[in-house]
Amino acid sequence: MRSWRCATSPRKRVARTRTTKRLAQRIDLNYFKRPTPLKRAKFWLSLLLPLLALIWIAWRGFSADHRLYSSGRLSEPHAVLEKECAACHVQKAGAFSAKAADNACLGCHDGPIHHAQKPAPACATCHTEHRGRINIAAASNQACAECHIDLRTSRGATQYASHINSFEDGHPEFAALRSVAGLAPSDPGTIKLNHAIHMKPIRRGPNGPAIQLECDNCHRATAADADLTFADPMYRAATVSYKDTDEVLSIHSETMRAPGAVTGRELMAPVKFANACAACHLLTFDKRFDEGVPHDKPEVIHAFLVRTFREYIAAHPAEVRAQRDPSRDLTGKQLLPAVRILTRAQWVAERTVEAEDLLWRKTCKQCHTLAPFRSGLKRKIEMSVTLPGDAVEISSVSTELPNVAPANTTLRWMPHAKFDHGAHDGFTCASCHAKALTSTEASDVLLPGIETCRKCHAPGPEHAESRCFECHTYHDWSQRKEVKPSFVLPALQTGK
Amino acid sequence: MRMDQTQRGWALGASAILVSSAVVYVLNAFESTQGPRGGSTSGLTFGVTGFGFMIFAALLGARKSVPTWRVGRAKAWMRGHLWLGFLALPMILFHGGFHFGGTLTRVLMWLLMLTVFSGVFGAALQHYVPRVMTSDVPLETIYDEIDRVRSLLREEADRAVESLCGSLGLSKTSGEEGQRAGGFTALRTIAASAVPLRTSAAVSAGASAAVATAPEIVLLREEESAPLRRFYLNEMRPFLERPKQRGQRLADAARAGSTLAGLRTLLPVAAHVTLADLEDICDEARQLTRQERLHLWLHGWLLLHIPLSLALILLGAIHAVMALRY
Repeated sequence: MRSWRCATSPRKRVARTRTTKRLAQRIDLNYFKRPTPLKRAKFWLSLLLPLLALIWIAWRGFSADHRLYSSGRLSEPHAVLEKECAACHVQKAGAFSAKAADNACLGCHDGPIHHAQKPAPACATCHTEHRGRINIAAASNQACAECHIDLRTSRGATQYASHINSFEDGHPEFAALRSVAGLAPSDPGTIKLNHAIHMKPIRRGPNGPAIQLECDNCHRATAADADLTFADPMYRAATVSYKDTDEVLSIHSETMRAPGAVTGRELMAPVKFANACAACHLLTFDKRFDEGVPHDKPEVIHAFLVRTFREYIAAHPAEVRAQRDPSRDLTGKQLLPAVRILTRAQWVAERTVEAEDLLWRKTCKQCHTLAPFRSGLKRKIEMSVTLPGDAVEISSVSTELPNVAPANTTLRWMPHAKFDHGAHDGFTCASCHAKALTSTEASDVLLPGIETCRKCHAPGPEHAESRCFECHTYHDWSQRKEVKPSFVLPALQTGK
Repeated sequence: MRMDQTQRGWALGASAILVSSAVVYVLNAFESTQGPRGGSTSGLTFGVTGFGFMIFAALLGARKSVPTWRVGRAKAWMRGHLWLGFLALPMILFHGGFHFGGTLTRVLMWLLMLTVFSGVFGAALQHYVPRVMTSDVPLETIYDEIDRVRSLLREEADRAVESLCGSLGLSKTSGEEGQRAGGFTALRTIAASAVPLRTSAAVSAGASAAVATAPEIVLLREEESAPLRRFYLNEMRPFLERPKQRGQRLADAARAGSTLAGLRTLLPVAAHVTLADLEDICDEARQLTRQERLHLWLHGWLLLHIPLSLALILLGAIHAVMALRY
């Protein structure tokens, strides 16, 4: 809207005349010398705010609070040292040095060097402090890549992958899954297990119900209670002559131990016959007995059989009259007479041989790798039976005991890395070990490949941690030395 | 300052600095085992550069307060203030590796962000508000003089009304008439007129042609001027005295127009010219109110920007000394 009208407007009136001169006349030429509220506020605020800043700095200075100049908050484990700058920063002439000394770190915790690398970098090179409540142990990939991007040894060649930049860049497939000299990776274990059959519904016994096994019926973490659904109390209670540790492969001596406390949920416990197999895989040896032989070495089984049959014939002397089983004439061997009268010792020896034949050639062999019968193990076993009137009847039989191969169960598939099954509890076993559903050979390596890990472990906030430290450790904790404590609690809490 | 084609050189230069700095930062961040740190060579370079930009931006205040300094054109200083001041933020973020650090550095980072963002907000306002001011406030006057102009408008309105209604005891003495509001009262004053007063009855009796063509003093009878007097004393003068008070009809152009149109029907034709002038005065008063509001938008952000930037410079200098010393 225009606010003035010219004199020639249709209204024929004398308009408000607004000339530049008249407009200028109403302005006080010294107006800029007068302070306006806006100018005043600007001036006072410009004075007040810097003054407040100075007062704040001075107040912190007088109260000797050096946190003001800290370059950031300390990590979670060091949070208690927030006020104790001198704990890490050496004080020189009343002022703190910017760099924390290695000795300050080593005063509380040892940091054994990585292999024989010399010289070892300063602690702060990898463990950067004042970055907030971060995981101080989480070294950057660059710290590892300093050497591993182009790994060299004094001998020149190295058995390890020599161009690793990160998990995504240059990291080879896991060693257990790599072909060596053209040979496909193979599980060194000797227990013959067909995973595919066990993962399908199985009829338990000729007339038993069909059951569907779950992975955790057999596989549980070391610290977890075993699933006893398919356990046999007798076998669980029995003592055995072999050690569990003899059945697992020893961990490679070069493996560096993880620093943290072992929770027992990182690795899977070896599957035990008594806990997972005994309910279905019966070790029966003779129709006269319901119980099976012990799950033990062949010598122990042999002794058990002899003892069992000897006790049996003592209780059932009439059974020395052996009647040939009509159905037993299909073996191709020369048939025994239809009815024979045996001595007790003969009876025990024959029953033992029959039972062992069943065990060594079928029952045990179903799962165990039995070495060929070696002559060294062929032995003549004398059996004596005490007759009434203290007479002793002696019989002898030659028997061969098999050589059972150690199970060679692999507890830790990645000797240079740590893996925690407990941290992956939320995922189904098959989502990583998919091959287990179809594997028919015990030699199949069912370890998931690196690509399976990379589905979750990748850079970026929407992925799980993928930096080197997540699986590998720098320090050789087997060389760990104990430290001498120097702090007392109140000092750390108050900073005085 | 308008953000137009004339800023192109500065914009390109600032973009080049930003991109090259970002490249250097990313390369260093990937190569450094500890990640980007303020104490590293590149970190210190970013810090010094950023602080230098801040100092330069702050010197604009000194340059303005001493306009006679021959240190470059004010326009160039303003552009440098805008672009280098803006670049200070990414430089300092590169310096700190996008970490806010400890207490002092965190305070500094927030101060910097508030300063830069208030500056960007102010620059946007400086770009748009002057255009709005030009279109909405053609009678723009010097902001500091608004109160004074408003009082002159009030006096002008007083005199106009008294020229029709007789003395209402509102007009100032003739000595004060030297200060005018740029209106018409200088041409038509009651006291100085030599023309005999005529009533509206006389005008209606046949002399209207002469009245319409020549300026003259028309004094209405009491009952004729009553609607005008009531309107002026009850609505218009309070509006001129307190234009920002809420609920006033004259504060709204449309409602003011209809009010004055209604009043026009109640007054004789001879008073319509004066009524039109009162309408003009109301319009100008509304524009002054609008100007005040726009001025507050245009310059109010400085209440935040300047004190924050001064505190930032002060604490930044302390941080630099302490960090370099230890």
